[in-house]
Amino acid sequence: MSERVKITLDGREVEVDAGTLLIQAAQDAGTYVPRFCWHSRMEPVGKCRMCLVEVEGPRGTTLTTSCTMSVNDGMVVHTASDTVRKAQEGVLEFLLINHPLDCPVCDRGGECPLQDQTMAHGPGESRYVEEKRHYEKPIPISDLVLLDRERCILCARCVRFSDEISGDPLIEFIDRGNYTQVNTFPDEPFASYFSGNTVQICPVGALTATPYRFRARPWDLEAVESTCSGCSVGCRVSVQASQNEILRLLGVDVEATNHGWLCDKGRFGFQHLAAPERLTTPLLRGDDGELHEASWGDALDRAAAGLATIVESSGEDAVAGLGGSRNTNEEALAFERLMRHTIGTPHLDARMGDALDVTLLAAGPRRGLIGDLERAATILVWGPDLKEELPVLFLRVRRAAAELGATLVVVHPRANGLDSNADHIVRYRPGEGGALLERLAAGEGDLGGVRAALDEGPVVAIVGRTGLTEDSNLAGAVAGFAAELSDSSVLAVSRRPNLYGAVDMGVAPGMGPGRVGDDPGRDADGILEGLGDGSVKGLVLLGSDPAGDHPSGTAGRAISQAEFVVSIDLFLNDSNRGADVVLPTAGFAEVEGTMTNLEGRVQKVNRLVPAPGQARPANEILADLAHRLGETWESSAAESLGAAISTLAPYADVSWQALDFGTGRDGIVARGSELEFSVQNVDKSIGNGLSLHLGRVLYDLGTAVTMGPSLAKLAPRPILYLHPDDAASLGVIKGDRVELTGSAGSAVIDAALDPSLAAGTVYLPFNLGTTVGSDPSVTVEKAT
Amino acid sequence: MTEQILTTRMEAHPADSNTLRRYEATGGYNTLRKALVEMSPEQITAEVKAANLRGRGGAGFPAGVKWGFLAPAEPHYLVINGDESEPGTFKDRQLLERDPHQLIEGIILSSYALGVNHSFIYIRGEYPRPARRVQRAVEEAYAAGYLGDDVLGSGFSLDVTVHLGAGAYICGEETALLNSLEGRRGEPRLKPPFPAVEGLYARPTIVNNVETISNIPWIVANGGAAYDAIGPEGSRGTRMFSLSGHVARPGNYEIVMGMSWRDLIYEVGGGVRDGNALKCWIPGGASAPWFTPAVLDEPVTLDDTGRLGSMLGSGAVVVMDETTNVVAAALSIVKFFSHESCGQCTPCREGTTWLQRILERILAGHGREADIGLLLDVCDNISPGLRWPPAQTTICPLGPSVVSPITSIMKHFRPEVEAMIRQAAPAGV
Amino acid sequence: MTWPAEIQARAEAIVARYPEPRSAVMPLLYLAMRQEGSLTLDGMRQVAGYTGLTSVQVESVASFYSMYKRESVGDYIVSVCTSISCHLLGGEEVLGAVADEAGVPSGKTGADGLFSVESVECIGACGGAPAVQVNYELVEGVTSESGRRLCRWLADDRPQVVTSDHMQAEFGGMRSFEWGPDESEGATGPVPAFGPLGTSGQPS
Repeated sequence: MSERVKITLDGREVEVDAGTLLIQAAQDAGTYVPRFCWHSRMEPVGKCRMCLVEVEGPRGTTLTTSCTMSVNDGMVVHTASDTVRKAQEGVLEFLLINHPLDCPVCDRGGECPLQDQTMAHGPGESRYVEEKRHYEKPIPISDLVLLDRERCILCARCVRFSDEISGDPLIEFIDRGNYTQVNTFPDEPFASYFSGNTVQICPVGALTATPYRFRARPWDLEAVESTCSGCSVGCRVSVQASQNEILRLLGVDVEATNHGWLCDKGRFGFQHLAAPERLTTPLLRGDDGELHEASWGDALDRAAAGLATIVESSGEDAVAGLGGSRNTNEEALAFERLMRHTIGTPHLDARMGDALDVTLLAAGPRRGLIGDLERAATILVWGPDLKEELPVLFLRVRRAAAELGATLVVVHPRANGLDSNADHIVRYRPGEGGALLERLAAGEGDLGGVRAALDEGPVVAIVGRTGLTEDSNLAGAVAGFAAELSDSSVLAVSRRPNLYGAVDMGVAPGMGPGRVGDDPGRDADGILEGLGDGSVKGLVLLGSDPAGDHPSGTAGRAISQAEFVVSIDLFLNDSNRGADVVLPTAGFAEVEGTMTNLEGRVQKVNRLVPAPGQARPANEILADLAHRLGETWESSAAESLGAAISTLAPYADVSWQALDFGTGRDGIVARGSELEFSVQNVDKSIGNGLSLHLGRVLYDLGTAVTMGPSLAKLAPRPILYLHPDDAASLGVIKGDRVELTGSAGSAVIDAALDPSLAAGTVYLPFNLGTTVGSDPSVTVEKAT
Repeated sequence: MTEQILTTRMEAHPADSNTLRRYEATGGYNTLRKALVEMSPEQITAEVKAANLRGRGGAGFPAGVKWGFLAPAEPHYLVINGDESEPGTFKDRQLLERDPHQLIEGIILSSYALGVNHSFIYIRGEYPRPARRVQRAVEEAYAAGYLGDDVLGSGFSLDVTVHLGAGAYICGEETALLNSLEGRRGEPRLKPPFPAVEGLYARPTIVNNVETISNIPWIVANGGAAYDAIGPEGSRGTRMFSLSGHVARPGNYEIVMGMSWRDLIYEVGGGVRDGNALKCWIPGGASAPWFTPAVLDEPVTLDDTGRLGSMLGSGAVVVMDETTNVVAAALSIVKFFSHESCGQCTPCREGTTWLQRILERILAGHGREADIGLLLDVCDNISPGLRWPPAQTTICPLGPSVVSPITSIMKHFRPEVEAMIRQAAPAGV
Repeated sequence: MTWPAEIQARAEAIVARYPEPRSAVMPLLYLAMRQEGSLTLDGMRQVAGYTGLTSVQVESVASFYSMYKRESVGDYIVSVCTSISCHLLGGEEVLGAVADEAGVPSGKTGADGLFSVESVECIGACGGAPAVQVNYELVEGVTSESGRRLCRWLADDRPQVVTSDHMQAEFGGMRSFEWGPDESEGATGPVPAFGPLGTSGQPS
């Protein structure tokens, strides 16, 4: 608990936290001081001058901005004196003299702090008879954001956000004095993964986002709080819709996770839900080999019959399930029940060959919380490029390093988003990670400094797959190493939104619901292998697309060899286009349930809009399938499944009731005892040739990007990055076409240079349309 | 008294007072040689404190007291404010151009006293000639062993970097200057923290004006007490005054404070041009409220000027004779502050420009009855109460500075303004 | 586009003079301007590269200061002071005369690229008002008549270097103070003539 002090606020004595800013202390005590520039998550700048108050001091009473002054014991403050009112009204008048009167056509109208203040405190009519400042009306400053400089009140929220919070200062003040404007560099757009936050925190309608522009008035919006399902960070959001269509997501300030911020993929990705390609009716493969619309009854009958036939002919073992990491815990639990109990197969996996050991995901050693970063002395990030895969976790790590002074160690095969804030950067070739870990643990050579930093606790280690060609055991070995460090906590990270929940629900080989051991089964790789060799014949896909998503690049071929495939999905994709039955399901904001983030934090997702057409929640579909396969569940409702989840030991404290009305926005961490975790040998073999780093980028060819009009254009084209030395020895220069050959084939693509790679390493961004497999050993030749 | 501290050498040796040869030939750097051997840093600081030298940049804060605030965490920096830009002021330009070694010796002594090993001289961008002279002097001082590693074998090391500004009055404000020196927009910072605690690169930093530091060699050579014996209490030492406008003999004059305004304008400055009558004058740069002949016999000191509702500021005395159109003169100053507002605070950014527009409109013959009240109320929203010393709704004092010319003409020449509004008088000088 | 090797070396030397690279932004902006006559997008990008800033951060700094010109300027920038002391002694008239003689309105650059004319705020020559600068080299005590002659001289002679002492002798009047010895150094373009561009005077 922080120390408390007494201040006199407008004649009333109140107790507030010592050291807080006056504006915050007053607000905590129930007195709102108007403000435009101040934002609780950013350094105060005292620019707009709206929050002026009077503070009594030894030399009389002085006007001061309450956003720049910390409270002291005994401070006497006046927030509504005549002097304060006059000063605030003066500031408001100054802000309005150059502000256009276009509220009726402004997106901010109705939720605009400037408009609200003007109504509350503003002058009746303007005394300003001179001409207003004029700028060209909204100019696009990126594919997502437009800037109207006439509306801008120069509060610097966007400028500060991009500099302080996201670390990509691409929007700045230009010119001086009365000519000051906010803008981007003439030929460098505001290409930030976090640009939408500036739109959200803009106190006027100067920054607007293309997806929401002119779509609705705030008073027409229905809203519900929920959890972003873009990745496994679990950012809190307010989902807002009008006429049953989601129109925007806003970040909600939650201490545990996102501090109010969102990445643009999370913020704008909702558009894919309204894509015309959404499945709205069940599809059945006809005798003509094509998929045809069908009734739910016929489709479910066919799906059940197909699966039953395989079980009868080849046994339960011949059926497998893949998916569940995009669904709620309730849907995942239904999937587990169908597969393991109704059908009776142990072969199910929510991972897609790109994740971590199940034990590490569910209950790894010294499992930590995102909030541990606030207290960390040292942070080790040996995992994915967080900016690309878990963007808001990137912001939290960046804050810890840049604002809170933690020592940051980044280990990665190439430059990544955290480098500019890192104290130590270690690079290595994929395939050499095991050897590197040994040298790091021993503090050998130039790693002595890194090793010493890791001895300074508290340490937070963020471990995960740096890339998809890397031995998945490496992350486990790093986690094992990190767990031995003094005062350490470990976050084992993987990006799929509800992977952790699905694993907790038992959608994993060898692990049943509630993180308890179960019969061993095949993992995703094993299932695909089984499809290839015929030992697996029936496949149930729940919201998963191995053909596009599994790093091997061979999943599509494997699935095509299945005898019978049922897919429950939002869209047709490379995996289910050849399926026998495709069942349309509800998606984000169309279902109610819970999700579990990478810390094990369980949060509610809520329903705001109906699913399109005949699409249904997956748990209902799965229950109907179970019923047709001879097992009738007591209830298929999500809420009943939620109650069932509460009976699992780690989820004992978790209930919808508690999440909705009890614990507030921070959710509930599903705690459980640590499971026995053993470090597996890391494959250290690496060929003499080139080593491939296969890393993910935020905007790829996944449906959240490609099916939404705003994000679709943001996915970059595939490029192979070579170290300049390797390029030189191959005779390749930037822009040349090269042929890349890997374990699953060859592709001809453009080459570019990346000096941050270790020599002997090439980098290919994953899922941009070029796939050559996930073996680290590749060859590159200049294409003729 | 005809004490002279700063301008002796340049007056006696107009042809080469800026060179190291002349500086040394007239006793220059002897004080440094002696001090490095005989005096501790604390002793030098004590002399500066004893001198009661008040800052010559405008605010008049006692230099020794400022030094005393320097936080212990090293490194420390000393930054010389040579961003002289207050309209009417050109005295630092003369000190930079004509006696740069006097400044440099002051910097070395001060740096030694303050535990500084890297000092910066920030010179405004419009002063390339003074900057060249200072740069040449710095190079001479390096070559002669006064700067660099192990100054004169004392073990004390000092680097001096000359940094050229690029056209922004606000950089004369010390925290804006530090931002500028850090490669940022010259926007004033919030205080606290003060530069002595968190200054350049967030390190403890002393920012002193060119004239202030140019006094240091004399103070160290002659003792703080000797300096404190010159001039009236509260305004010790000599001071450079820049006389300009409708004065017969404009120029910089080093004088002992305490003489009357009448003596300063009529004796030192030779009176008003063409034998015209004195209408008013600005006693301390464009930011200062104006004086009228009613106070001609008041003494020229910091405290008396403050008591009378103005300030000596940067020592710039701008004289206006009977022919002056005071509205046009006020507009010139308002336009200046509007142009030089950094733009971060709403009242200053919007208010200065609004005031400019109103005055332009009045001068163009489109004044309205309500304009006088409006001008004063806009001023009041920048500087509540329109009192002296001014209150402010802004971060730095530039905001309230724009108020001075307007309140001055309203206080002393309101009938002229009213007449102009009524008659829709044409613009003129 | 990158700078010639000699300029790159100069830029690196400037960066090295400061405890933190960002401090080199202002001198590097002058260096960039000198390369191309004005501050281009490419120039600002170069400066960003040396200082670890983004291009827009560099532009933000550059645009704050009056002397960094982001639009192309003439060979000669003629700056006429109109602040209070010069205002009182006819600065606006000198500005008018200069603009008329140069054929370029205040705030603009002529089509032939010879002159830019601007009204500037106080340039610290109040004792020699009205004051004018040509490429930041000062002339004091200028009249409308001598201002016109100054422009004609620039147009006719097209001097490679403009020096204060020469212009003062030919076109100037009362000075703020005795200037001291004559100097041969002067401006070779619309950038202040300060050799080290803000670097320390350590002998090279």
